[in-house]
Amino acid sequence: MELLNAFAVSLQSVWADSGFSAFTMGNGIMILVGLLLLYMAIVKEFEPLLLGPIAFGCVLANFPRTGFFTEPGLMQAIHYGIANEIFPPLIFLGIGAMTDFGPLLARPVTLLLGAAAQIGVFVALVGAMLLGFNVQEAGAIGIIGGADGPTAIYLSIQMAPHLLGAIAVAAYSYMSLVPLIQPPIMKLLTTQKEREVAMEQLRPVTKFERVCFPIVAAIVISLLLPPIASLLGCLMLGNLFRESGVMDRLSDTAQNSLCNIVTIFLATGTGMTMNADDFLVPQTLMIIGLGLVAFIAGTAGGVLFGKIMCRVSGWKINPLIGSAGVSAVPMAARVSQVVGMKAKPGNYLLMHAMGPNVAGVIGTAVAAGTMLAMLK
Amino acid sequence: MSHPVTTNPLIIMLINMTVVFLVLTVLGLVINLIHIIDPTKPKQEKQEEAAPAPAEAAAAPVESAPAAGTAAAEEGISPEIVAVIAAAIASYGYGMEQVRAIRPLPRDAWKNSGRAQMANRG
Repeated sequence: MELLNAFAVSLQSVWADSGFSAFTMGNGIMILVGLLLLYMAIVKEFEPLLLGPIAFGCVLANFPRTGFFTEPGLMQAIHYGIANEIFPPLIFLGIGAMTDFGPLLARPVTLLLGAAAQIGVFVALVGAMLLGFNVQEAGAIGIIGGADGPTAIYLSIQMAPHLLGAIAVAAYSYMSLVPLIQPPIMKLLTTQKEREVAMEQLRPVTKFERVCFPIVAAIVISLLLPPIASLLGCLMLGNLFRESGVMDRLSDTAQNSLCNIVTIFLATGTGMTMNADDFLVPQTLMIIGLGLVAFIAGTAGGVLFGKIMCRVSGWKINPLIGSAGVSAVPMAARVSQVVGMKAKPGNYLLMHAMGPNVAGVIGTAVAAGTMLAMLK
Repeated sequence: MSHPVTTNPLIIMLINMTVVFLVLTVLGLVINLIHIIDPTKPKQEKQEEAAPAPAEAAAAPVESAPAAGTAAAEEGISPEIVAVIAAAIASYGYGMEQVRAIRPLPRDAWKNSGRAQMANRG
Protein backbone atom coordinates (compact mmCIF):
# COMPACT_ATOMS: atom_id res chain seq x y z
CA MET A 1 0.00 0.00 0.00
CA GLU A 2 2.85 2.32 0.87
CA LEU A 3 4.42 1.57 -2.45
CA LEU A 4 1.21 2.51 -4.29
CA ASN A 5 0.95 5.74 -2.33
CA ALA A 6 4.53 6.67 -3.17
CA PHE A 7 3.86 5.82 -6.81
CA ALA A 8 0.72 8.00 -6.88
CA VAL A 9 2.51 10.92 -5.22
CA SER A 10 5.37 10.64 -7.68
CA LEU A 11 2.98 10.57 -10.63
CA GLN A 12 1.14 13.60 -9.27
CA SER A 13 4.43 15.38 -8.86
CA VAL A 14 5.53 14.55 -12.43
CA TRP A 15 2.13 15.70 -13.74
CA ALA A 16 2.26 18.90 -11.72
CA ASP A 17 5.73 19.67 -13.11
CA SER A 18 4.83 18.71 -16.69
CA GLY A 19 3.86 21.15 -19.39
CA PHE A 20 0.44 19.54 -19.75
CA SER A 21 -0.79 20.79 -16.37
CA ALA A 22 -0.04 24.40 -17.36
CA PHE A 23 -0.97 24.07 -21.02
CA THR A 24 -3.52 26.69 -22.11
CA MET A 25 -5.81 27.03 -25.09
CA GLY A 26 -3.60 29.93 -26.20
CA ASN A 27 -0.53 27.67 -26.24
CA GLY A 28 -2.45 25.17 -28.37
CA ILE A 29 -3.49 27.82 -30.87
CA MET A 30 0.05 29.21 -31.10
CA ILE A 31 1.48 25.74 -31.71
CA LEU A 32 -1.03 25.38 -34.55
CA VAL A 33 0.09 28.78 -35.89
CA GLY A 34 3.69 27.53 -35.72
CA LEU A 35 2.76 24.38 -37.61
CA LEU A 36 0.94 26.46 -40.24
CA LEU A 37 4.05 28.62 -40.68
CA LEU A 38 6.16 25.47 -40.95
CA TYR A 39 3.82 24.25 -43.69
CA MET A 40 4.23 27.57 -45.53
CA ALA A 41 8.01 27.37 -45.18
CA ILE A 42 8.49 23.72 -46.16
CA VAL A 43 5.66 23.03 -48.62
CA LYS A 44 5.02 26.48 -50.10
CA GLU A 45 8.70 27.53 -49.79
CA PHE A 46 7.89 31.01 -48.43
CA GLU A 47 11.37 32.23 -47.33
CA PRO A 48 12.03 28.74 -45.84
CA LEU A 49 15.46 29.59 -44.41
CA LEU A 50 13.88 32.22 -42.17
CA LEU A 51 10.27 31.19 -41.76
CA GLY A 52 11.28 27.60 -40.89
CA PRO A 53 13.26 28.46 -37.72
CA ILE A 54 10.78 31.25 -36.84
CA ALA A 55 7.93 28.73 -36.99
CA PHE A 56 9.79 26.15 -34.93
CA GLY A 57 10.74 28.81 -32.40
CA CYS A 58 7.03 29.68 -32.15
CA VAL A 59 6.22 26.05 -31.35
CA LEU A 60 9.01 25.87 -28.74
CA ALA A 61 7.94 29.15 -27.13
CA ASN A 62 4.53 27.74 -26.32
CA PHE A 63 5.64 24.80 -24.22
CA PRO A 64 4.90 25.86 -20.63
CA ARG A 65 7.46 25.65 -17.82
CA THR A 66 10.51 25.34 -20.04
CA GLY A 67 12.21 28.24 -18.27
CA PHE A 68 13.77 29.27 -21.58
CA PHE A 69 14.01 32.94 -20.69
CA THR A 70 14.47 32.66 -16.93
CA GLU A 71 17.22 30.05 -16.55
CA PRO A 72 20.72 30.35 -18.03
CA GLY A 73 21.19 28.26 -21.15
CA LEU A 74 21.18 28.32 -24.92
CA MET A 75 17.69 29.79 -25.26
CA GLN A 76 18.51 32.62 -22.88
CA ALA A 77 21.72 33.29 -24.80
CA ILE A 78 19.73 33.45 -28.05
CA HIS A 79 17.22 35.76 -26.41
CA TYR A 80 20.10 37.94 -25.18
CA GLY A 81 21.37 38.22 -28.76
CA ILE A 82 17.94 39.37 -29.92
CA ALA A 83 17.14 41.69 -27.03
CA ASN A 84 20.52 43.41 -27.22
CA GLU A 85 20.54 43.91 -31.01
CA ILE A 86 23.50 41.61 -31.59
CA PHE A 87 22.15 39.42 -34.38
CA PRO A 88 20.72 41.95 -36.90
CA PRO A 89 24.09 43.72 -37.41
CA LEU A 90 25.80 40.33 -37.84
CA ILE A 91 23.27 39.41 -40.51
CA PHE A 92 24.04 42.75 -42.17
CA LEU A 93 27.74 41.78 -42.16
CA GLY A 94 26.81 38.76 -44.27
CA ILE A 95 24.46 40.76 -46.50
CA GLY A 96 27.26 43.29 -47.11
CA ALA A 97 29.62 40.49 -48.13
CA MET A 98 26.98 39.19 -50.56
CA THR A 99 25.99 42.56 -52.04
CA ASP A 100 27.35 43.98 -55.27
CA PHE A 101 27.02 47.76 -55.06
CA GLY A 102 28.35 48.05 -58.64
CA PRO A 103 25.00 48.93 -60.30
CA LEU A 104 24.43 51.62 -57.66
CA LEU A 105 27.93 53.06 -58.12
CA ALA A 106 27.48 53.07 -61.89
CA ARG A 107 24.19 54.98 -61.66
CA PRO A 108 23.97 56.75 -58.26
CA VAL A 109 20.77 58.55 -59.24
CA THR A 110 18.91 55.30 -58.52
CA LEU A 111 19.50 56.00 -54.82
CA LEU A 112 16.51 58.32 -55.10
CA LEU A 113 14.30 55.38 -56.09
CA GLY A 114 15.43 53.58 -52.94
CA ALA A 115 14.44 56.68 -50.97
CA ALA A 116 11.05 57.10 -52.68
CA ALA A 117 10.03 53.51 -51.95
CA GLN A 118 10.38 54.20 -48.21
CA ILE A 119 7.06 56.07 -48.40
CA GLY A 120 5.46 52.68 -47.64
CA VAL A 121 7.08 52.74 -44.19
CA PHE A 122 5.50 56.05 -43.31
CA VAL A 123 2.09 55.34 -44.87
CA ALA A 124 1.90 52.27 -42.61
CA LEU A 125 3.06 54.39 -39.67
CA VAL A 126 0.22 56.84 -40.27
CA GLY A 127 -2.24 53.94 -40.65
CA ALA A 128 -1.03 52.33 -37.42
CA MET A 129 -1.43 55.56 -35.47
CA LEU A 130 -4.95 55.99 -36.84
CA LEU A 131 -5.74 52.45 -35.63
CA GLY A 132 -4.68 53.36 -32.11
CA PHE A 133 -1.07 52.17 -31.86
CA ASN A 134 1.28 54.53 -30.03
CA VAL A 135 3.99 56.30 -31.97
CA GLN A 136 6.78 53.82 -31.14
CA GLU A 137 4.61 50.82 -32.04
CA ALA A 138 3.54 52.55 -35.26
CA GLY A 139 7.17 53.17 -36.24
CA ALA A 140 8.04 49.51 -35.64
CA ILE A 141 5.02 48.36 -37.68
CA GLY A 142 5.78 50.81 -40.50
CA ILE A 143 9.28 49.40 -41.03
CA ILE A 144 7.65 46.22 -42.42
CA GLY A 145 7.27 48.33 -45.59
CA GLY A 146 11.05 48.47 -45.87
CA ALA A 147 10.96 44.74 -46.73
CA ASP A 148 14.15 44.22 -44.82
CA GLY A 149 13.94 41.58 -42.07
CA PRO A 150 17.02 42.42 -39.96
CA THR A 151 16.18 46.14 -39.93
CA ALA A 152 12.56 45.39 -38.98
CA ILE A 153 13.76 43.21 -36.08
CA TYR A 154 16.39 45.79 -35.06
CA LEU A 155 13.82 48.59 -34.87
CA SER A 156 11.08 46.48 -33.25
CA ILE A 157 13.37 45.37 -30.43
CA GLN A 158 14.08 48.98 -29.57
CA MET A 159 10.64 50.52 -30.09
CA ALA A 160 8.06 47.77 -29.50
CA PRO A 161 9.61 44.47 -28.35
CA HIS A 162 6.19 42.97 -27.54
CA LEU A 163 5.26 43.22 -31.26
CA LEU A 164 8.49 41.64 -32.53
CA GLY A 165 6.96 38.26 -33.41
CA ALA A 166 4.04 39.65 -35.41
CA ILE A 167 6.23 42.20 -37.20
CA ALA A 168 8.88 39.63 -38.15
CA VAL A 169 6.31 37.14 -39.42
CA ALA A 170 4.51 39.85 -41.44
CA ALA A 171 7.80 41.17 -42.89
CA TYR A 172 9.15 37.78 -43.97
CA SER A 173 5.78 36.54 -45.24
CA TYR A 174 5.24 39.59 -47.43
CA MET A 175 8.85 39.49 -48.64
CA SER A 176 8.20 36.01 -49.99
CA LEU A 177 4.98 37.28 -51.59
CA VAL A 178 6.73 40.15 -53.45
CA PRO A 179 6.33 38.37 -56.85
CA LEU A 180 2.55 38.28 -56.26
CA ILE A 181 2.07 41.70 -54.62
CA GLN A 182 4.17 43.92 -56.88
CA PRO A 183 3.34 43.12 -60.56
CA PRO A 184 -0.33 44.24 -60.50
CA ILE A 185 0.65 47.58 -58.91
CA MET A 186 3.51 48.07 -61.38
CA LYS A 187 1.23 47.40 -64.34
CA LEU A 188 -1.53 49.59 -62.96
CA LEU A 189 0.74 52.60 -62.54
CA THR A 190 2.70 52.41 -65.81
CA THR A 191 1.82 52.60 -69.50
CA GLN A 192 2.96 50.05 -72.08
CA LYS A 193 5.34 52.68 -73.53
CA GLU A 194 6.95 53.26 -70.13
CA ARG A 195 7.38 49.54 -69.49
CA GLU A 196 9.14 49.18 -72.85
CA VAL A 197 11.84 51.78 -72.12
CA ALA A 198 15.26 50.21 -72.77
CA MET A 199 18.06 51.43 -70.51
CA GLU A 200 21.65 52.11 -71.53
CA GLN A 201 24.32 49.68 -70.41
CA LEU A 202 25.88 50.55 -67.06
CA ARG A 203 29.41 51.96 -67.10
CA PRO A 204 32.16 49.75 -65.71
CA VAL A 205 32.97 50.44 -62.04
CA THR A 206 36.63 50.43 -60.99
CA LYS A 207 38.03 48.59 -57.99
CA PHE A 208 38.98 51.96 -56.46
CA GLU A 209 35.30 52.98 -56.39
CA ARG A 210 34.21 49.60 -55.02
CA VAL A 211 36.74 49.76 -52.17
CA CYS A 212 36.24 53.44 -51.33
CA PHE A 213 32.43 53.28 -51.26
CA PRO A 214 31.93 51.08 -48.16
CA ILE A 215 34.56 53.03 -46.21
CA VAL A 216 33.23 56.48 -47.07
CA ALA A 217 29.55 55.42 -46.79
CA ALA A 218 30.15 53.98 -43.31
CA ILE A 219 31.81 57.22 -42.19
CA VAL A 220 29.15 59.52 -43.68
CA ILE A 221 26.06 57.56 -42.55
CA SER A 222 27.42 56.76 -39.08
CA LEU A 223 28.15 60.43 -38.49
CA LEU A 224 24.72 61.47 -39.79
CA LEU A 225 22.70 58.75 -38.01
CA PRO A 226 24.57 57.19 -35.05
CA PRO A 227 21.59 54.97 -34.01
CA ILE A 228 22.14 52.79 -37.08
CA ALA A 229 25.95 52.90 -37.04
CA SER A 230 26.18 49.24 -36.01
CA LEU A 231 23.79 48.12 -38.80
CA LEU A 232 25.31 50.19 -41.60
CA GLY A 233 28.83 49.75 -40.22
CA CYS A 234 28.52 45.97 -40.41
CA LEU A 235 26.92 46.15 -43.88
CA MET A 236 29.83 48.20 -45.18
CA LEU A 237 32.45 46.11 -43.36
CA GLY A 238 31.07 42.98 -45.01
CA ASN A 239 31.15 44.72 -48.38
CA LEU A 240 34.76 45.79 -47.79
CA PHE A 241 35.66 42.13 -47.11
CA ARG A 242 34.17 41.32 -50.51
CA GLU A 243 35.59 44.16 -52.58
CA SER A 244 39.08 44.54 -51.11
CA GLY A 245 40.25 41.34 -52.78
CA VAL A 246 42.62 40.59 -49.89
CA MET A 247 40.09 39.39 -47.30
CA ASP A 248 38.50 36.54 -49.20
CA ARG A 249 38.47 34.19 -46.21
CA LEU A 250 36.64 36.73 -44.08
CA SER A 251 34.24 37.44 -46.93
CA ASP A 252 33.55 33.75 -47.35
CA THR A 253 32.91 33.30 -43.62
CA ALA A 254 30.69 36.38 -43.40
CA GLN A 255 28.49 35.41 -46.34
CA ASN A 256 28.27 31.68 -45.63
CA SER A 257 28.98 30.08 -42.26
CA LEU A 258 28.58 33.13 -40.03
CA CYS A 259 25.46 34.35 -41.83
CA ASN A 260 23.90 30.88 -41.65
CA ILE A 261 24.68 30.45 -37.95
CA VAL A 262 23.34 33.89 -37.05
CA THR A 263 20.25 33.31 -39.21
CA ILE A 264 19.47 30.19 -37.17
CA PHE A 265 19.80 32.13 -33.89
CA LEU A 266 17.98 35.24 -35.10
CA ALA A 267 15.07 33.41 -36.70
CA THR A 268 14.62 30.87 -33.89
CA GLY A 269 14.88 33.60 -31.26
CA THR A 270 12.36 35.75 -33.14
CA GLY A 271 9.95 32.81 -33.27
CA MET A 272 10.42 32.33 -29.54
CA THR A 273 9.01 35.78 -28.89
CA MET A 274 5.68 34.55 -30.30
CA ASN A 275 4.05 33.50 -27.06
CA ALA A 276 0.28 33.33 -26.80
CA ASP A 277 -0.08 36.36 -24.51
CA ASP A 278 1.64 38.72 -26.96
CA PHE A 279 0.54 37.18 -30.25
CA LEU A 280 -3.10 36.21 -29.77
CA VAL A 281 -4.42 39.76 -29.73
CA PRO A 282 -6.44 41.70 -32.33
CA GLN A 283 -3.42 43.94 -32.96
CA THR A 284 -1.66 41.04 -34.70
CA LEU A 285 -4.26 41.02 -37.46
CA MET A 286 -3.95 44.81 -37.76
CA ILE A 287 -0.15 44.48 -38.08
CA ILE A 288 -0.51 41.90 -40.85
CA GLY A 289 -2.99 44.17 -42.67
CA LEU A 290 -0.77 47.23 -42.22
CA GLY A 291 2.22 45.27 -43.52
CA LEU A 292 0.39 44.67 -46.79
CA VAL A 293 -0.52 48.37 -47.02
CA ALA A 294 3.14 49.24 -46.43
CA PHE A 295 4.34 46.93 -49.23
CA ILE A 296 1.74 48.27 -51.68
CA ALA A 297 2.51 51.91 -50.84
CA GLY A 298 6.28 51.34 -51.06
CA THR A 299 5.98 49.69 -54.48
CA ALA A 300 3.69 52.47 -55.71
CA GLY A 301 6.04 55.16 -54.35
CA GLY A 302 9.03 53.65 -56.15
CA VAL A 303 7.19 53.23 -59.46
CA LEU A 304 5.68 56.75 -59.36
CA PHE A 305 9.08 58.29 -58.64
CA GLY A 306 10.46 56.12 -61.45
CA LYS A 307 7.91 57.73 -63.78
CA ILE A 308 9.15 61.17 -62.77
CA MET A 309 12.77 60.12 -63.36
CA CYS A 310 11.76 58.60 -66.69
CA ARG A 311 10.42 61.98 -67.87
CA VAL A 312 13.27 64.03 -66.39
CA SER A 313 15.94 61.77 -67.92
CA GLY A 314 14.31 61.92 -71.38
CA TRP A 315 12.91 58.36 -71.29
CA LYS A 316 16.23 56.81 -70.32
CA ILE A 317 15.02 55.24 -67.05
CA ASN A 318 12.39 52.50 -67.02
CA PRO A 319 9.91 53.23 -64.18
CA LEU A 320 9.62 49.49 -63.45
CA ILE A 321 12.99 49.54 -61.66
CA GLY A 322 11.44 51.89 -59.07
CA SER A 323 9.53 49.04 -57.43
CA ALA A 324 12.87 47.39 -56.56
CA GLY A 325 13.47 50.25 -54.13
CA VAL A 326 11.59 48.31 -51.44
CA SER A 327 14.72 46.23 -50.60
CA ALA A 328 13.72 42.51 -50.63
CA VAL A 329 17.06 41.81 -52.35
CA PRO A 330 17.16 40.36 -54.98
CA MET A 331 13.51 39.28 -55.27
CA ALA A 332 12.17 42.79 -56.04
CA ALA A 333 14.82 43.32 -58.76
CA ARG A 334 13.82 40.01 -60.33
CA VAL A 335 10.19 41.15 -60.38
CA SER A 336 11.22 44.31 -62.30
CA GLN A 337 13.08 42.09 -64.77
CA VAL A 338 10.13 39.73 -65.26
CA VAL A 339 7.55 42.52 -65.73
CA GLY A 340 9.92 44.36 -68.09
CA MET A 341 10.54 41.23 -70.17
CA LYS A 342 6.81 40.60 -70.46
CA ALA A 343 6.29 44.11 -71.80
CA LYS A 344 9.20 43.87 -74.22
CA PRO A 345 11.08 40.59 -74.75
CA GLY A 346 14.82 41.14 -74.66
CA ASN A 347 14.62 44.17 -72.36
CA TYR A 348 16.94 43.16 -69.52
CA LEU A 349 16.31 45.32 -66.45
CA LEU A 350 17.83 43.09 -63.75
CA MET A 351 21.17 44.88 -63.34
CA HIS A 352 19.49 48.30 -63.60
CA ALA A 353 17.01 47.27 -60.89
CA MET A 354 19.79 46.09 -58.57
CA GLY A 355 20.79 49.76 -58.08
CA PRO A 356 17.51 50.84 -56.42
CA ASN A 357 17.27 47.42 -54.77
CA VAL A 358 20.48 47.82 -52.74
CA ALA A 359 19.68 51.52 -52.30
CA GLY A 360 16.46 50.33 -50.65
CA VAL A 361 18.47 48.39 -48.05
CA ILE A 362 20.36 51.57 -47.15
CA GLY A 363 17.14 53.63 -47.35
CA THR A 364 15.29 51.34 -44.94
CA ALA A 365 18.18 51.48 -42.47
CA VAL A 366 18.22 55.27 -42.76
CA ALA A 367 14.45 55.41 -42.17
CA ALA A 368 14.92 53.21 -39.10
CA GLY A 369 17.71 55.47 -37.84
CA THR A 370 15.62 58.59 -38.32
CA MET A 371 12.70 57.04 -36.44
CA LEU A 372 14.99 55.93 -33.62
CA ALA A 373 16.37 59.46 -33.36
CA MET A 374 12.91 61.05 -33.44
CA LEU A 375 10.58 58.64 -31.74
CA LYS A 376 12.45 56.44 -29.27
CA MET B 1 12.42 55.61 -23.09
CA SER B 2 12.61 59.37 -23.78
CA HIS B 3 9.68 61.33 -25.17
CA PRO B 4 9.25 61.41 -28.96
CA VAL B 5 9.89 64.72 -30.72
CA THR B 6 6.33 64.78 -32.11
CA THR B 7 3.34 62.46 -32.30
CA ASN B 8 1.72 63.98 -35.37
CA PRO B 9 1.94 61.18 -37.98
CA LEU B 10 1.96 63.52 -40.97
CA ILE B 11 4.81 65.60 -39.56
CA ILE B 12 6.73 62.41 -38.75
CA MET B 13 6.21 61.23 -42.34
CA LEU B 14 7.29 64.56 -43.83
CA ILE B 15 10.41 64.90 -41.68
CA ASN B 16 11.47 61.28 -42.11
CA MET B 17 11.02 61.21 -45.88
CA THR B 18 12.99 64.46 -46.16
CA VAL B 19 15.82 63.01 -44.06
CA VAL B 20 15.86 59.76 -46.08
CA PHE B 21 16.05 61.72 -49.36
CA LEU B 22 18.75 64.03 -47.97
CA VAL B 23 20.95 61.22 -46.64
CA LEU B 24 20.69 59.22 -49.86
CA THR B 25 21.36 62.36 -51.92
CA VAL B 26 24.50 62.99 -49.86
CA LEU B 27 25.49 59.38 -50.49
CA GLY B 28 24.92 59.92 -54.21
CA LEU B 29 27.21 62.97 -54.13
CA VAL B 30 29.83 60.93 -52.29
CA ILE B 31 29.66 58.26 -55.00
CA ASN B 32 30.10 60.92 -57.70
CA LEU B 33 33.02 62.41 -55.78
CA ILE B 34 34.72 59.01 -55.55
CA HIS B 35 34.26 58.61 -59.32
CA ILE B 36 35.74 62.05 -60.02
CA ILE B 37 38.85 61.56 -57.89
CA ASP B 38 39.34 57.95 -59.01
CA PRO B 39 42.98 57.80 -60.22
CA THR B 40 42.46 54.38 -61.81
CA LYS B 41 39.60 55.17 -64.19
CA PRO B 42 40.23 54.48 -67.91
CA LYS B 43 42.31 57.11 -69.72
CA GLN B 44 39.75 57.87 -72.40
CA GLU B 45 37.14 58.77 -69.79
CA LYS B 46 39.61 61.12 -68.10
CA GLN B 47 40.28 62.88 -71.42
CA GLU B 48 36.56 63.30 -72.02
CA GLU B 49 36.15 64.95 -68.64
CA ALA B 50 39.22 67.17 -69.12
CA ALA B 51 38.20 68.42 -72.59
CA PRO B 52 34.41 68.31 -73.03
CA ALA B 53 34.38 68.44 -76.83
CA PRO B 54 33.28 64.93 -77.73
CA ALA B 55 31.85 65.89 -81.12
CA GLU B 56 35.16 67.24 -82.39
CA ALA B 57 37.15 64.43 -80.82
CA ALA B 58 34.90 61.80 -82.39
CA ALA B 59 34.90 63.50 -85.77
CA ALA B 60 38.67 63.48 -86.13
CA PRO B 61 39.25 59.73 -86.46
CA VAL B 62 36.26 59.42 -88.82
CA GLU B 63 37.80 61.88 -91.22
CA SER B 64 41.20 60.26 -91.14
CA ALA B 65 39.86 56.74 -91.14
CA PRO B 66 39.05 56.17 -94.82
CA ALA B 67 42.62 56.86 -95.85
CA ALA B 68 43.98 54.13 -93.59
CA GLY B 69 40.95 51.92 -93.86
CA THR B 70 40.32 51.77 -97.60
CA ALA B 71 43.43 49.65 -97.97
CA ALA B 72 42.00 47.07 -95.56
CA ALA B 73 38.51 47.17 -97.14
CA GLU B 74 37.55 44.83 -99.94
CA GLU B 75 36.39 46.15 -103.29
CA GLY B 76 32.70 46.98 -103.38
CA ILE B 77 32.64 48.52 -99.88
CA SER B 78 32.03 52.24 -100.15
CA PRO B 79 34.20 54.78 -98.29
CA GLU B 80 31.08 55.87 -96.38
CA ILE B 81 30.69 52.36 -94.91
CA VAL B 82 34.37 52.30 -93.99
CA ALA B 83 33.99 55.70 -92.31
CA VAL B 84 31.02 54.48 -90.22
CA ILE B 85 32.91 51.34 -89.14
CA ALA B 86 35.95 53.49 -88.28
CA ALA B 87 33.79 55.79 -86.15
CA ALA B 88 32.28 52.84 -84.29
CA ILE B 89 35.74 51.40 -83.60
CA ALA B 90 37.06 54.82 -82.56
CA SER B 91 34.26 55.12 -79.98
CA TYR B 92 35.80 52.11 -78.23
CA GLY B 93 39.23 53.78 -78.20
CA TYR B 94 40.89 51.95 -81.11
CA GLY B 95 42.36 53.29 -84.36
CA MET B 96 41.83 52.09 -87.97
CA GLU B 97 45.49 51.04 -88.16
CA GLN B 98 44.50 48.05 -85.98
CA VAL B 99 41.91 46.85 -88.53
CA ARG B 100 43.24 44.15 -90.85
CA ALA B 101 40.28 43.68 -93.16
CA ILE B 102 36.69 44.75 -93.77
CA ARG B 103 34.65 42.21 -95.75
CA PRO B 104 30.96 41.34 -95.90
CA LEU B 105 29.88 38.06 -94.33
CA PRO B 106 27.80 35.70 -96.46
CA ARG B 107 24.14 36.35 -95.60
CA ASP B 108 21.84 33.56 -94.58
CA ALA B 109 18.25 34.53 -93.84
CA TRP B 110 17.54 31.30 -91.90
CA LYS B 111 20.55 31.77 -89.62
CA ASN B 112 19.67 35.42 -88.98
CA SER B 113 16.08 34.50 -88.17
CA GLY B 114 17.28 31.82 -85.71
CA ARG B 115 19.65 34.28 -84.03
CA ALA B 116 16.88 36.87 -83.70
CA GLN B 117 14.62 34.27 -82.08
CA MET B 118 17.35 33.22 -79.63
CA ALA B 119 18.06 36.84 -78.71
CA ASN B 120 14.41 37.60 -78.04
CA ARG B 121 13.64 34.44 -76.12
CA GLY B 122 12.32 35.35 -72.62
